[in-house]
Amino acid sequence: MKKYSDLEFLRLSKGEKFLYKLTSFFAAIPRAIGRFFMKIALFFKNLGVGFGKELADLVMTFKNGDWKTRSSYLVMGFGSIARGQVLRGLMFLLFELVFIFYMIFAGAHWLSLLPSLGKIGPHEEYNAVLDAYTRVYGDNSFKILLYGVLTLFFIVAFIYTWRLNIQQNKLAEEYLKSGRRLKTGQDDLRSLVDEQFYKTLLALPLTGIMVFTVMPIVFMILVAFTNYDGAHDGYNNALFGWVGLDNFRTLLSWSGSGVNYSATFGEILTWTLIWAFFATFTNYFLGMFVAMMINKKGIKLKKVWRTILVMTIAIPQFISLLYVSKMFAKNGIVNGVLLDLGWIKQAIDFWGSQEHNALLPRVMVILINIWIGIPYLMLIATGILMNIPADLYESSRIDGANAWQQYTKITLPYMLFITGPYLLTSFTGNMNNFNVIFLLTGGAPTNAAASGASGSVGFTDLLITWLFKITTGAEAQYYLASVVGIMVFVVVAVISLVVYNVLPSIKNEEDFQ
Amino acid sequence: MNETLEKRSMGLRASRTISNTIIYVILIVMSVVWLIPFFCIVLQSFRIESTWQVGYVIPRQWGWDNYRALWNSDFKRWYLNTFIIALAVAALQTIIVLCMSYTLSRFRFKMRDGLMRFMLILGMFPGMLTMIILYRVLKDLGLTQANAVPGLILVYVASSGMGYYVSKGFFDTIPKSLDEAARVDGATRAQVLYKIILPLAKPIVIYTILTAFMAPWGDFVFAKYVSFGTSAGMNVAVGMWSWLQQDMIGQKYTMFCAGGVIVAIPVTILFMCLQKYYVEGVTGGAVKG
Amino acid sequence: MASVKLTKVKKVYDNKVVAVHDFDLDIKDKEFIVFVGPSGCGKSTTLRMVAGLEDISGGTVEIDGEVVNDLQPKDRGIAMVFQNYALYPHMTVYDNIAFSLRLQKVPEDVIYEKVTNAAEILGITDYLMRKPRALSGGQRQRVAIGRAMVRNSKVFLMDEPLSNLDAKLRNQMRAEIILLRQKLDTTFIYVTHDQTEAMTLGDRIVIMKDGYIQQVGTPTEVFEMPKNLFVAEFIGAPKMNIMRTELVAEGGKYFVTPFGAKIEVDGEKGKALAAKGQKSAAIDLGVRPEHIVLAKQGEGIPCVLEVNEMMGSELHLHVYTEDGTRLIVRVPTIGLDPAERESLVQGKKLFVTFEGKVMHFFDTESGENLLND
Repeated sequence: MKKYSDLEFLRLSKGEKFLYKLTSFFAAIPRAIGRFFMKIALFFKNLGVGFGKELADLVMTFKNGDWKTRSSYLVMGFGSIARGQVLRGLMFLLFELVFIFYMIFAGAHWLSLLPSLGKIGPHEEYNAVLDAYTRVYGDNSFKILLYGVLTLFFIVAFIYTWRLNIQQNKLAEEYLKSGRRLKTGQDDLRSLVDEQFYKTLLALPLTGIMVFTVMPIVFMILVAFTNYDGAHDGYNNALFGWVGLDNFRTLLSWSGSGVNYSATFGEILTWTLIWAFFATFTNYFLGMFVAMMINKKGIKLKKVWRTILVMTIAIPQFISLLYVSKMFAKNGIVNGVLLDLGWIKQAIDFWGSQEHNALLPRVMVILINIWIGIPYLMLIATGILMNIPADLYESSRIDGANAWQQYTKITLPYMLFITGPYLLTSFTGNMNNFNVIFLLTGGAPTNAAASGASGSVGFTDLLITWLFKITTGAEAQYYLASVVGIMVFVVVAVISLVVYNVLPSIKNEEDFQ
Repeated sequence: MNETLEKRSMGLRASRTISNTIIYVILIVMSVVWLIPFFCIVLQSFRIESTWQVGYVIPRQWGWDNYRALWNSDFKRWYLNTFIIALAVAALQTIIVLCMSYTLSRFRFKMRDGLMRFMLILGMFPGMLTMIILYRVLKDLGLTQANAVPGLILVYVASSGMGYYVSKGFFDTIPKSLDEAARVDGATRAQVLYKIILPLAKPIVIYTILTAFMAPWGDFVFAKYVSFGTSAGMNVAVGMWSWLQQDMIGQKYTMFCAGGVIVAIPVTILFMCLQKYYVEGVTGGAVKG
Repeated sequence: MASVKLTKVKKVYDNKVVAVHDFDLDIKDKEFIVFVGPSGCGKSTTLRMVAGLEDISGGTVEIDGEVVNDLQPKDRGIAMVFQNYALYPHMTVYDNIAFSLRLQKVPEDVIYEKVTNAAEILGITDYLMRKPRALSGGQRQRVAIGRAMVRNSKVFLMDEPLSNLDAKLRNQMRAEIILLRQKLDTTFIYVTHDQTEAMTLGDRIVIMKDGYIQQVGTPTEVFEMPKNLFVAEFIGAPKMNIMRTELVAEGGKYFVTPFGAKIEVDGEKGKALAAKGQKSAAIDLGVRPEHIVLAKQGEGIPCVLEVNEMMGSELHLHVYTEDGTRLIVRVPTIGLDPAERESLVQGKKLFVTFEGKVMHFFDTESGENLLND
C-alpha cells in the first residue's frame, strides 16, 4: 500500500481520502496484532533475562556477602536480626517456619495428589459392625485441586519472600558500608503510615482480590482441563481427573459426534455479539439524543424531564425487568389492553414461546434494554455535552454551520472521543449482561436445533446465560462452563485489544484537550 | 431588503416554535412510557379481587390485602437480609474502594502499572465463572443457604477493589500539589489522606456508598446460587423472582407488585436525595473510562 | 538558617530520561539563590529533590551538614510555596496557615499568636475566616507564603510563586518578597523561568538548560560575563544581538568586522583577549541592544528598519542587515530629535554601530565565551 505524506493526502479527492483511510485502518490491524505478539515475545524475553539476572545476583550476593548474609540463604531473616532489624527478621523467620510447617503437614499431601486429582474414589466396603456393604468415601478431587492450587500459590509466595530476604541483606550491607543508618523496626512501622502507606492501604483489597477472584479464576481455568461435572463431582459420585485439551476439542471441532457443541456455541456467540452491538449503540445514540433535546435552549422544565428519567435508575432492575417481562406476557397487561381497545384480535406472543419465533423476542429485549438504559446514558451525555466549550459552537455558527453540521462535526466527534473507552467497556459489559436477558426471557424461546447439547438453549440466550444454565442444569457440566468462560474471555480480550490498538480516537489522546 | 430580513427572522422564530413543540411531544410521550410500568405496579399492588395476572390496569376492588400478605410471608426475612447486606456492603466496600483508588491515584510504586493491567485482564473473565468455586468454598465454610447473608457480604466486598476506576478518576482531579504541600507542612501520608483528601472527596465517597448500597438490592444470580432454594437465606430479588415462576405466579403476582413497591420506595428516596453525587460520579466515570 | 549543599545530584526517570545531570551547588546560610531556565530545564525537579518530593537518583543533598536523601519532606526543616498555591480548599485561611502547627501539636494560643502575626505582616488579617476560593490570586499567594512563614524552617523553597499572577501584581509581589526576605532572614531557594525575577531577587543565580547548570553567579556576573551563548541570550531583555563575524588579530590589537564595518576591541576586553593569546577566528559576536547606537550615514553597519516599537521611554528598533540577520536596537526617546523620531518608519535605511568594550565573543562551535577562565 502506498503511503501518502500529509501534503499529498490533502490533494486527494474525498472518495480517495476515505478509501485511503479505510485501507490504512485495515492495514493497521495485522501490524497491531503483530505488535501484540512482539510484545508478548518481548515480555517472555525480558522474563528470561530478568530470571537470569536474578540468579546471577543470588550467586554474587552469596559470594560477596558476609556470614550474616550467607546464613540468611538458609535461615530467613537471620541477617536482618543480626544487624539489629529485629522486627523484619522475625517476620521473615516466622514466614519460613509457617511455610515449612504447612508443607510438611498439609502441602506435601495435596501436592502429591495434584497430578492425579485423587486415587481412591467412593466405593462399597464391607462393614463388620453393620454386617453389610456400605458406601465409603475416598479422596476429594475438588479439594485436591483447590488446595493444590493454594499450595502452589504459597510456594510462589515463599520463593518471592526468600528472594526479598536476600535482597534485604544485600541492601543492608551496602547501607552499612556507605555509613548510612539502617531502619529500625520502629522506622518500619512508622513508614507504613507514611512513605509505604500504600502497602497498608492495598493489603486488604489485594488479599480479597487474590482469594476471591484470582484463585477462583485459576481454579476454573484448570477445571477446563478436567471432566468435572455432576456425575464426576469428585467426591459423592466419582472422582474427576485431567483430560487435557479434550473439552476444547469438543467445543471447537465441527464434526462432534452426537450433539454439535460448536454449532450451538457459534450460534450463541453470534447473537451475543449482535445483542451487544445493538444494546450498546441504540442506548448510546438515543441517550445522547434525549440529552440534547432536554438541553436544548428554550425547553422548559428541564429538571422535571430529567428527574422522571433518573428516577427509573433508582428502582432495582429485577423489579422493573421482571414486571415488564410479565406485562408483555401472553395474558399480560399489554395484550389485555390492546385486546380491549380492539386493536388486535389475538394476543401477541411477545416472548414467542410457542411458535419459536426468534425475531420478536430478540427485538423485544433490545427495546426493553433501551428503556432501561436511556436514563443512564442521558445522564452521562448531559455531563459531557455541558463540558463542550461553548465557543466551539459559536465559532461554527459564525462559520455558517447548521444544527446537523454542528452535531456531526462537533458534538459527535467530541462525544465519541471522550466516551471511547466507555463504549468499549459498555460493549463488553453488554456481552455479559446476565440480568436483562435472564430476568426478561430466561433465554426463551427454546431453540430446538441448538438444544440438546446441554439442556435447553434459547434464542435470546447469551453466552453468559448459557454458562449459567450449563452449571445449574441437570448434568452440571462444570468443565464445559469453564471452557465457555475462557472463550468469553478470549472474545472480550480480542475486541478490547483491537479497539485499543487500532482506534485512532483512543490513541490521539490530546486531540480534544 | 427589510421585508425579506423580517420574513427570515419570522421564519426562524416559527421553525423554532415548531421544533420545540415536537420536542415537548416526544418528551411527554417518553415520560409516559417510562412511568407507565411503575404506575401499573403500584395500582396492581392494591388489587384484591384476584392474585393472578389480569389484562386490565385499574383494580376493580382496592385494598391493603397484598401488603398484609407480605407481612405474613417470608418477604420480611428477605427484606431484612437484603437490608443487612446492603448496609454492610456500603460500609466495607466503600473503605476498600477508597483505599484502592487513592493508592493508585497517588502512589507510584514498582508494581503499580502491572497491577492495574492485571486487574483489567481479570475483569475480562466473566464473573459467573468464579461462582461455582466460591459457592463450594462458602459451602465448606457453612456460609450458604440459611447462612447466606455473611457469605454474600464476604464475596461482594472481597472483590470490590477491582471497581476503583470511577473514584480513582476523581482523586486524579485533586491537585497533587495539595498532597505535597501537606507533606511539607509535616503530615504523614496517612494524615494527608484523612485530613486533606477525604474532606475534598466527599462527592465520590457518597457516590461510592450509594452505589454500594443499591447494588445488593438488585443482585440476583449469585444470591440465587448461595441461597440455593433456602428461603431464609434469600434476598428480595431471589425470593420475589421465585414468586413469578410458573407454579407461583397465580397466587403471588399481586404480592410481587406490593413487594416491588416496598423495595423501591426507600431505595428511590435515598437515590433522589443523593442524586447530585450520583450524576457527578457517573459522568466523571464515563469520561475517565 | 542553614546552608544547603548539593553534590552530584542526579534525577533519572523510569523511562531513562535524565532530567538533572550531576548538579553541584553550595548554598550559603541566608543566601537567596534563584534557579532560572526555560521550561523543562530541570530547575523545578532540583528544587523538589531538595524538598523531598522527588526521589534522588544519585548524589547527596545536605541541609545544615546533614544528608537528607532518606528523610521525608516533613523532617527536612523546609517550607515551600507552590506555583498554584496549593491552599487546602476546605479550610479557612486561618486553618490553612495553622495546619502545620496543629500537626506539630503546638498549643492553640501559640498558634493564634503566630498566625495573626504572619497575617499582619502579609496584610491578610481581614481574610482569616475566608475559604481560599473567595480570595483573589494575590491574596492566595500571600496565604501560601504565610503558611510557609509560620513553620520557622531552615530553608524556604519557592517554586515559580509569581507565575500565576498578572504582570502588575507580579511586580508588586516581587518587591514584597524582597521585604519578606529581610524579615525572615533565612536561606531561600527560588525557582522561576523569568529572568527579570531572577536578576532582581537573587544573591546568586543558577542558570540551567536541559538538566545542566550553565552558569552560577551574581546578577552582575551573569549579565556582564555570560559563560556561553545560551546564558547571554537568556539574561537581559530584549535579548542580546548575535552576529556571526570574524575576530581579527592585527599587531597586538583586535578588531571585529560585522557586515563590512570594522570596530576595534578596546579596553579590558582587548587586554583580556591578548592575555589569552587569542588568534584570528570566526566568532559569534554578542552585543546588547542598549549598547548599539544609531550612527551617521555611511558609518558602521548598514541595515533596514523593519519594526519600530514605541515603549515609552525608549524605542525598540528591529532592523535587519544585508544577510538578513535581525538586530534589536534600544534608542532612548529622551534627547531624540522629534523629526528624526518621525522618520523612523518601516523600510528606512539606517546605520548602527557600537563601542568596543561592550562586546562578547563566543566560539562558533561550542558557544563558550572566549574569555572564560
